[in-house]
Amino acid sequence: MAKEIFMPKLSSTMQVGTLLQWFKDEGDSVEVGDPLFEIMTDKINIEVEAYEEGILLKKYYEEDDEVPINHVVGYIGKADEKVPDSPPGEAGGKEIPTETESDSETEVEDEDKEDVFDTTPAERSLESSQASADPAAKTEKPRATPAARRVAKEEAVSLAEIQGSGPNGRIHQGDVMAFAESHAAPKATPLAAKVAEAEGVDLKGIEGSGSQGKIYRSDVEGAKKPVTQSSPPAAASGKRVKMEGIRKVVAERMLKSKTSAPHVTLTSEIDMTEVVSMRKQLLGSIEKQTGLRLSYTEILVKAVAQSLKRHKNINVSLEGNEIVYQDSVNIGLAVAVENGLLVPVVKNADQKGLAAITEECKALGKAARESKLKPDAMSGGTFTISNLGMYAIDAFTPVINQPESAILGVGRINEKPVGVNGAIVLRPMMVLSLSFDHRVIDGAPAAAFLTELKNILEQPYELLT
Amino acid sequence: MTQKLNLPPRVAEKDLADLYKQMWQIRFFEEKVDEFFAKGMIHGTTHLAVGQEASAVGSIAVLEDRDKITSTHRGHGHCIAKGAEVNGMMAELFGRTTGYCKGKGGSMHIADVEKGNLGANGIVGGGFAIATGAALTSQMKKEGFVVLCFFGDGASNEGSFHEAINLASIWKLPVVFICENNQYGMSGPAKEMMNVGNVAQRAESYGIPGKVVDGNDIFDVMNGVGEAVDRARNGEGPSIVEAKTYRWKGHSKSDAKKYRTREEEKEWRLKDPIERMRLILVVEGLLTEEEAEKIKADAKEEVEGSVDFAANSPHPTLDDLMEDIYA
Amino acid sequence: MRELTYLEAVREAMSQEMRQNEDVFILGEDIGVYGGAFGVTRGMIEEFGPERIRNTPISEAAISGTAVGAALTGMRPILELQFSDFITIAMDNMVNQAAKIRYMYGGKGKVPMVLRTPAGSGTGAAAQHSQSLEAWMTHIPGLKVVQPSTAYDAKGLLKAAIDDDNPVIFYEHKLCYKTKSDVPEESYSIPLGKADVKREGKDATIVATAIMVHRSLEAAAELEKEGISVEVIDPRTLVPLDTETIIESVKKTSRLVVVHEAVKRGGFGGEIASVIAESEAFDYLDAPIKRLGGKAVPIPYNPELEKAAIPGVDDIINAVKETVNRL
Repeated sequence: MAKEIFMPKLSSTMQVGTLLQWFKDEGDSVEVGDPLFEIMTDKINIEVEAYEEGILLKKYYEEDDEVPINHVVGYIGKADEKVPDSPPGEAGGKEIPTETESDSETEVEDEDKEDVFDTTPAERSLESSQASADPAAKTEKPRATPAARRVAKEEAVSLAEIQGSGPNGRIHQGDVMAFAESHAAPKATPLAAKVAEAEGVDLKGIEGSGSQGKIYRSDVEGAKKPVTQSSPPAAASGKRVKMEGIRKVVAERMLKSKTSAPHVTLTSEIDMTEVVSMRKQLLGSIEKQTGLRLSYTEILVKAVAQSLKRHKNINVSLEGNEIVYQDSVNIGLAVAVENGLLVPVVKNADQKGLAAITEECKALGKAARESKLKPDAMSGGTFTISNLGMYAIDAFTPVINQPESAILGVGRINEKPVGVNGAIVLRPMMVLSLSFDHRVIDGAPAAAFLTELKNILEQPYELLT
Repeated sequence: MTQKLNLPPRVAEKDLADLYKQMWQIRFFEEKVDEFFAKGMIHGTTHLAVGQEASAVGSIAVLEDRDKITSTHRGHGHCIAKGAEVNGMMAELFGRTTGYCKGKGGSMHIADVEKGNLGANGIVGGGFAIATGAALTSQMKKEGFVVLCFFGDGASNEGSFHEAINLASIWKLPVVFICENNQYGMSGPAKEMMNVGNVAQRAESYGIPGKVVDGNDIFDVMNGVGEAVDRARNGEGPSIVEAKTYRWKGHSKSDAKKYRTREEEKEWRLKDPIERMRLILVVEGLLTEEEAEKIKADAKEEVEGSVDFAANSPHPTLDDLMEDIYA
Repeated sequence: MRELTYLEAVREAMSQEMRQNEDVFILGEDIGVYGGAFGVTRGMIEEFGPERIRNTPISEAAISGTAVGAALTGMRPILELQFSDFITIAMDNMVNQAAKIRYMYGGKGKVPMVLRTPAGSGTGAAAQHSQSLEAWMTHIPGLKVVQPSTAYDAKGLLKAAIDDDNPVIFYEHKLCYKTKSDVPEESYSIPLGKADVKREGKDATIVATAIMVHRSLEAAAELEKEGISVEVIDPRTLVPLDTETIIESVKKTSRLVVVHEAVKRGGFGGEIASVIAESEAFDYLDAPIKRLGGKAVPIPYNPELEKAAIPGVDDIINAVKETVNRL
């Protein structure tokens, strides 16, 4: 039987993947592990490899098509095998954890321990995080009679918004008619309605250009302009780029972090004299070991990890009503990429030496810039470092990378006159900006953490132990 | 001229050449069909009556045109004897629109209701009640026709045999039940499948005559059946006539004939009904050797012609699929 | 207009046809001086004589086949089977012969016969004399199936069945025999394949057959009191089925309940539900289609159990309420 190639779900938030390019044509033979196609998700671009060997029998999607997760993208099989002409939709071979399964997880663990031991803890946590962090997967298709569906279509109302009066919430024709009447909402395409909602535009004030006055997105956008812009439409020229992929996710996450976490930012200026000299001494030996040049970032990672180990109340995240004290210290590094920001994670940084951290940071940075980060490399962070030291930036207020609770902003190292033992001398100085979530962390422990970090960086040789 | 042979009133000496020809038509038709099946030119299945020509031709020879027959799955011979055109029969086996059933019935369902052939039947014992019903029509409408119901030794063990013959006997219907006892119901030897030696003995339990005739002797068949037909036409009710015969070929196209010996087959081939008729006609001077040869050649030619006719006839179209169905 | 019982209407239809058409006759067990097991033919032998009111032996296989044979040769027999359960014994003749002949013979032959038979439970006759097996017959291409519920329909449909040139299975429900309705004295025909709207309504459609038509009408009257308006459709003939009337009604009411006495599993209700699901009425359905049928159990003897084995008025009321969300 031909095997399905499906759109993998690469993160808990991923709903669709955009097909960027195919590496194979229909009829090509495929080995296990061959890259089949490249996709862009809300976080990354990634190559999807073949799980099966055989002939690529069918490609259902073109480049730039958006494909829902777990939907069949194509088939691999024997040359003469028959496959559907049109995309068959959701893949059958791969099971997605269903709502019932995740809901009854504890029960299952009690009743059926053997099964639980068959899966690794990582697999289990992946399953549960997928199920719980994926509200869309939980949404049931509305139960509605054929007549209700017909009328809903005619009235251009969404069944999802209607409360059914029948058994199990089944929506009947009468429910749809009552809803349509009470809302008397202007007919609009689902997209137009969504855009209108996002833009805060009232559909009632819009004249639709479609049949029977149906409102399209363009109508909404047209209606929006006079309200939000004082200049005539001619001034609205200029390139417009749709927010998508990484950009869109960054936007959503930043907004969420800023609106949900009360940010407080502390700054502290660090004398980097000792770090500079230590780096000089280590450069040669680390380059010998790894072929890579040690940078300040890596020293900062090590120092932050050390400091976090001693201040466990900073290495925390907020999950629901619970503060989770993380066992491991995983340091995320904000990396600027073409269309946004990625945060690869150095796992267990407190347990790694500078050489190892150097190797890892360099590899992660490269992968990020080349869009080749694996989802795994971006998960599990407990604290993030954002370094703008390569620019003429002294200090800033970084935004917390949730679910973490704190982030460190790193400014440039700049020679400044400072007082040392009663004399003004020039010293390489650097400002660190620590933003923290005041729901979880108070000012004093945050200050204590930052002070610890300052002390470590000013006496950095302990990092070598 | 005095009659040399003992013939029933309906049959005259001058008719004998025709009957002889019918026997050959049946023989050639069956052999042709056998050949085509073997070559895969005809599909489905078929049951051949080679060796049983005399019981078919002899029984039907005593009928009037208005009389009717019901036939069996082994029915090609009855068809030809009742006056069917070999063209239409062959075309039916080829599945063509010019066939007796427009290609929809095939070997087991050839019928010609207009000419009194009420049809072959794929259900063993399926003809008993239909023949009885037809005889009821004759009686109720006073049409005077007689119905011959052909059946085999195997069918005589069906429940319908009992029910129908009982009914025909109490109503004194003009029907004659002709058992062509060819010794085997498919693979089942008649002597193992019933506890009496002759099917004809069973007539006694219905209070009707039962008579055994030599099914490979057309004259014996004609006399036996002729008597029963006269009785039926006179309103005296049904009879059973049992013609002992033998099918030379297997039951149907896929039959290894493991249930009987080659010696037994050889023995029966010596009793070839066609050869026996030819000998008598020649010895009695009713036919010269040359005339007999000519008749045989003519019969063969007609069968050959039917193949051309069938092969050149149109196939039904898919529109014909739903023709002649009403519910 | 005068009232007749359903039983009298059936008898009148037959008598009127027999007076007009010499070819029509009845055969069956105990239909003579006894008047039939349910008295349908009572008095007929006195008028028409034993030739045309033909008392038969207890031989369902023979009398069904005899009817086929008589029909094939020009008569128009009406076969009375004492109980519809006995159709098992007549099955070969109905399914393999009557239903097939016209098509199998390429349209050259017809079987104009009616098999009348009482069906249904409610008389305490238990498992072998109470079944409703009509769905079996509807499955066979070549058989028409009629199931009248009222005296008026019975008379008109029976005339149409007798006039039809093809085999018709005519189911009479035992509990309908005593029901009365206005029946015109003159002969009239109700075309096979035309449903009757027994009651108009707008909230839900009930399609019911035979005795269930009466129960559905009772249920509809009760539901009316609660403000639920029910349309009751009696298809009257299952083959051919008037799909148009049913589809139009469901488009109007958006809800369908199908009720028959026959066992629900594999019953004809499934066919009606499927017709709707496949039709344009699907988009008008505002509730799942509901089927009510007999429980999958032989009909028991105990009267309470017997009643519980098939749908009652309360079951119908509840089913309708469920589909209109009023339960």
